[in-house]
Amino acid sequence: MTSKLCVAFVGLILATASCLAQTALHVAAAADLQPVMPALAQEYEHQTGVKLDVSFGSSSALATQILNGAPMDVFLGADFSFPEKVVAANLADQSTPTPYATGTLVLWTRKDSGISPLSIDLLTDPKITRIAIADEFHAPYGRAAYAAIDALKLRAKLKPKIVTAENVGQTAQFAESGNAQVAFISLTLASTEHMRQIGTFERAPKIYPKLTQCGVVIKSSSNLAEAHKFLSWLTSPKTQSTLTRFGLDPAQ
Amino acid sequence: MESQALWLTLRLAATTTIILLAVAIPLAWWISSGRGPARAFTQAILALPLVLPPTVIGFYLLVGLGPLTFAGRAIIHILGHPLAFSFAGLVVGSVLYSAPFAIMPLVAGFQAIGPEYVEAASLLGASPVRSFFDITLPLAKPAVLSAIVLVFLHTVGEFGVVLMLGGNIPGVTQTLSISLFDQVQDGNYTAANHTALLLIAFAVAGLAIVYARRPWRQFA
Repeated sequence: MTSKLCVAFVGLILATASCLAQTALHVAAAADLQPVMPALAQEYEHQTGVKLDVSFGSSSALATQILNGAPMDVFLGADFSFPEKVVAANLADQSTPTPYATGTLVLWTRKDSGISPLSIDLLTDPKITRIAIADEFHAPYGRAAYAAIDALKLRAKLKPKIVTAENVGQTAQFAESGNAQVAFISLTLASTEHMRQIGTFERAPKIYPKLTQCGVVIKSSSNLAEAHKFLSWLTSPKTQSTLTRFGLDPAQ
Repeated sequence: MESQALWLTLRLAATTTIILLAVAIPLAWWISSGRGPARAFTQAILALPLVLPPTVIGFYLLVGLGPLTFAGRAIIHILGHPLAFSFAGLVVGSVLYSAPFAIMPLVAGFQAIGPEYVEAASLLGASPVRSFFDITLPLAKPAVLSAIVLVFLHTVGEFGVVLMLGGNIPGVTQTLSISLFDQVQDGNYTAANHTALLLIAFAVAGLAIVYARRPWRQFA
């Protein structure tokens, strides 16, 4: 019995290993792309046969990992500044980051939270005790949220209510689980079927700097040609025209 | 900011240690006082956090005890706020996460005491409670000390549960390990180095206490 279990266990490990052996592009993608990348990767693999292995994190976490030698082929950030850091460190195979989409910041709440109509001015209401925002230094959507709050001079008033998430995905999770009543998240996360079913969102007024999401090809990539091909595919007019259904606007 | 995180971490570790000792000493005594499936099962459950990823605890505390469940709503009714993003939430997470580090040395310590001492005490007319406080507990002192130090250190070093449950609020849920994570993310390696060295110093000092006491256990 024990030996059979051992064989099964080793077999499982070997099967996992053989799955990993298939050649693929390693993409580090900002957390707002979590609902976007699986569909794009499927489409890209269908068209070109190249598989995409995607890791998600805050733009800052991913940039730090790449600056410290993470074996990535492409980095898709949620703004200009983090891919630019990679360029500045001379680790990108291009002289300036490539814009691939424009992000939109939204306020999100659960339908059963009793908060309606949802608006940024309502955040001072004592009924709202917890507002989830991504870290303003690590996550572009967090920075955008604070920019909007600052533009309305609400930071001091809201500060005691704010809980900070590591990235925009965790921010959404805080509100999705009801632990925070409201969250500043990306339109991409708010647009998923699950989030639409259980919640409502309101676009934040455009009082935050434009979220120009940029990507770079990593110089140390062992697959530079394929990496550039993917970034060109992503910025091609045809792919760009499909982005709106994921909650992203075309780059320009 | 650093001193705030340090103070918070110490408060969290101390609170967790006190609560966990109060719970673990009677539990460990019960476990070590006999055999049977109930005891084995309890011990297995209490050892789970040792092998489970902290994300499992973080997940269940955040969602299972969040406002969407009955238990979560009961907690909000009692505390006035959800467990998440609060010091109380971190304490609950830490108590669960560090439980094996209290139970294991205590059970081993109690089991190492020969039954003849307790039997002799009972022959002389001591009640089980009295013989526990006058005989068993003093003899198990090194085990209690190990439990205290290990729980304290393990809570200082906790990361995953706090990251999932905390919301990174300075002075409330931003512990040293979280602030180290932030400093690395920001590329602020000088500050990260200070925080990391502080955490290492804690660990070395604490473990030195445990190992310096070891000959005493053999003596006892």
